[in-house]
Amino acid sequence: MKVSALTIAVVLSAAATAWAQAPSDAQIAHIVVTANQVDIDAGKIAAARATNAEVKAYGEMMARDHAGVNKQAVALATKLKVTPEDNGTSKSLKAGGEKNVAHLKTLKGAEFDKAYIDNEVAYHQAVLDAVDKTLVPSAQNAELKALIVQVRPAFVAHLEQAKKVQSSLK
Amino acid sequence: MTTTHPAIVLVMGAALGLLSCGSGPDAAANAPAPVTHTVTMEAVAFKPDDLTIRVGDTVVWVNKDPFPHTATSKDVFDSKDIAVETSWTFKAAQTGDFSYVCTYHPTMKGVLRVKPST
Repeated sequence: MKVSALTIAVVLSAAATAWAQAPSDAQIAHIVVTANQVDIDAGKIAAARATNAEVKAYGEMMARDHAGVNKQAVALATKLKVTPEDNGTSKSLKAGGEKNVAHLKTLKGAEFDKAYIDNEVAYHQAVLDAVDKTLVPSAQNAELKALIVQVRPAFVAHLEQAKKVQSSLK
Repeated sequence: MTTTHPAIVLVMGAALGLLSCGSGPDAAANAPAPVTHTVTMEAVAFKPDDLTIRVGDTVVWVNKDPFPHTATSKDVFDSKDIAVETSWTFKAAQTGDFSYVCTYHPTMKGVLRVKPST
């Protein structure tokens, strides 16, 4: 079932185009942290429940990498004295992530593996879209912008690996 | 009666000494000094991802990403976890072309080519 992935993709695509006003740095910081946390939560579940070794390893990689990115993002926000500000995109991301986790918990075996990886492919595509169309162009602070630019290749690598695992499951 | 002045003996001895030092094979003297190379782990990639070195050289992998990496070549070297902003050092002892990966990131690949020291 791809509803969750689609929901998140729609949310992020909407975020990429529907900001009447560009998000502030505080809002961007919140979006970055939330987007990472959503993938950490799903990754932890995959690490614990996936049956396919590659899917399991992918989940572990997501939990580890996105936790690292978030640690860096929080450290930067602290340094810049920016308090991440909740916003519509963050709320939707969080809700979409929770929905995805709830859905994944109802699945087992190959069904779980496929649903998790399908979601990861859609999610990383949507995140990259949001990074390119909204987050990087809107970020005002040079260090915040640099952080997003710096971690972008990691998201590309994650997408590439998710697609590889996805095709191996077919 | 012929005598040799001590100073001449000294000079001749020194000259012979110089000659003996300057002649004959001396592999150690001809070998290039070991070099330290750096491979950066950044943006989920090894930079450079193809490195040629000599036996005796050292390679330092430096992790600039916000999450851990490894530099792992089956049966030859394995850094295990290289944490954020830390590094791992390897001194090449054998020749060969060694492919390696980050075990956490299968898309991250590199080659270390180790040539003889001379």
